[in-house]
Amino acid sequence: MSADGPEEFDGAADGETGPRYCTYTSYEDGEPVDGFPWTGPTGRGADENGVADRIADALDDVEDPEMPISVLDLGLVYGVTVEDGQATVDLTLTYTGCPARDLLQENVRRAVADVEGVEAAEVRLVWQPEWTVEMVTDDGKDQLREFGLSI
Amino acid sequence: MTIAGDEPSLGAPDDLSPREREAVSALVRAMADDEFVLAERYTEWQVRSPTLESDLALSNVAQDEYGHARLWYDLLQDFGASEAELIWEADPVDFRHATLVELPFPEGDWADPILRSYLFDVYEKLHLEALEDSSYPRIRDRVGKVQSEETFHREHAENWLERLCADPDGRERVQFAADRLFPYGLTLFVPTDRESAIVDLGIRTDPLDSLREDWFAEVIPFLESLGIDLPVTDDGVVEVELPEKIGRRGDHTDHWPDLFAEFTHTYREMDLDEPPRLMEDPDDVG
Repeated sequence: MSADGPEEFDGAADGETGPRYCTYTSYEDGEPVDGFPWTGPTGRGADENGVADRIADALDDVEDPEMPISVLDLGLVYGVTVEDGQATVDLTLTYTGCPARDLLQENVRRAVADVEGVEAAEVRLVWQPEWTVEMVTDDGKDQLREFGLSI
Repeated sequence: MTIAGDEPSLGAPDDLSPREREAVSALVRAMADDEFVLAERYTEWQVRSPTLESDLALSNVAQDEYGHARLWYDLLQDFGASEAELIWEADPVDFRHATLVELPFPEGDWADPILRSYLFDVYEKLHLEALEDSSYPRIRDRVGKVQSEETFHREHAENWLERLCADPDGRERVQFAADRLFPYGLTLFVPTDRESAIVDLGIRTDPLDSLREDWFAEVIPFLESLGIDLPVTDDGVVEVELPEKIGRRGDHTDHWPDLFAEFTHTYREMDLDEPPRLMEDPDDVG
């Protein structure tokens, strides 16, 4: 593509001949779902000394393997509970065929298990509500735009 | 169709009665194997599709079907089996996929994977719709995600069928594929030996024979509109005999053991079924 833009498509987009623009130029938007994703205990920093806040910090350091964004900002974390040192994380994936499913689950488990106040961590994969781009946090959207995605 | 809430919901995996568990297992095993074996076949087209775009598209469809297979195998793993036991170390006769998905492709016949994808994906859409209100929450929770990834599979297949049938040579190829695959499409609707429990327990809210009628009502007019002849009388009666081998009860074509041997080859070669020992088992040392 030239620096001046996609000249090679000039005049062809509406023509009968020649290439046409791909009709799939944007992600299909979903509806925001109340209460999802989980990004920390009722907003970050609300519970600075609490274990849930430390878990949110730890998850902020777990990156998606394909894009420079944390699993928290990508909106993959649906819930965190801690009971007697046993942490349970509900995690979803952007699509079912994700080839990094085991990797992400294990990275999340390890990050959470390392948190002070957590003895052991378990990650449960969940598929409801379905992940859509609406799950990405505002910060996450900025990071993805910077990375070059149009969302 | 039952509305969620009318029927008592089944419990967590460990809380199921033997009858409930066998019904869930039978249904999910067939679904998982369909997706997995179909994906195996699709991958044979990688680097062989007619254009790079179609190569990527079919590879992507295969990736989705593997993902869906994994979601359904997860539910069998809830009952204690491992992924390796369910697939790589399983006996080929344990598989319950319909024989439609295991057939080899005639060499270079692009119409076959396209038509096969169309026949399967319409079935899958209807089947998933009948699981939206499943009494088993672990199934119900997965349906939306899978369904959302299926739309473009059908678009891809329909789009290719329209283009192939726009030209006499292409239409002839689709016709050959239809003559061969349409009877095998019926294997998708042959019940497992747990069908009555699956329906009675509300795990699937529609029986397979009613889904088959819905499938006829969608695929027949579409294919006929493209100029494809199907074995249907003027009164709309479908006159097709089921193939000899169905798949849903473990009966498979001769192609299946070959495909199974091929995709488990690497697993066996790596001796993954025999974990390496770092030291001799103390019990074995005198």
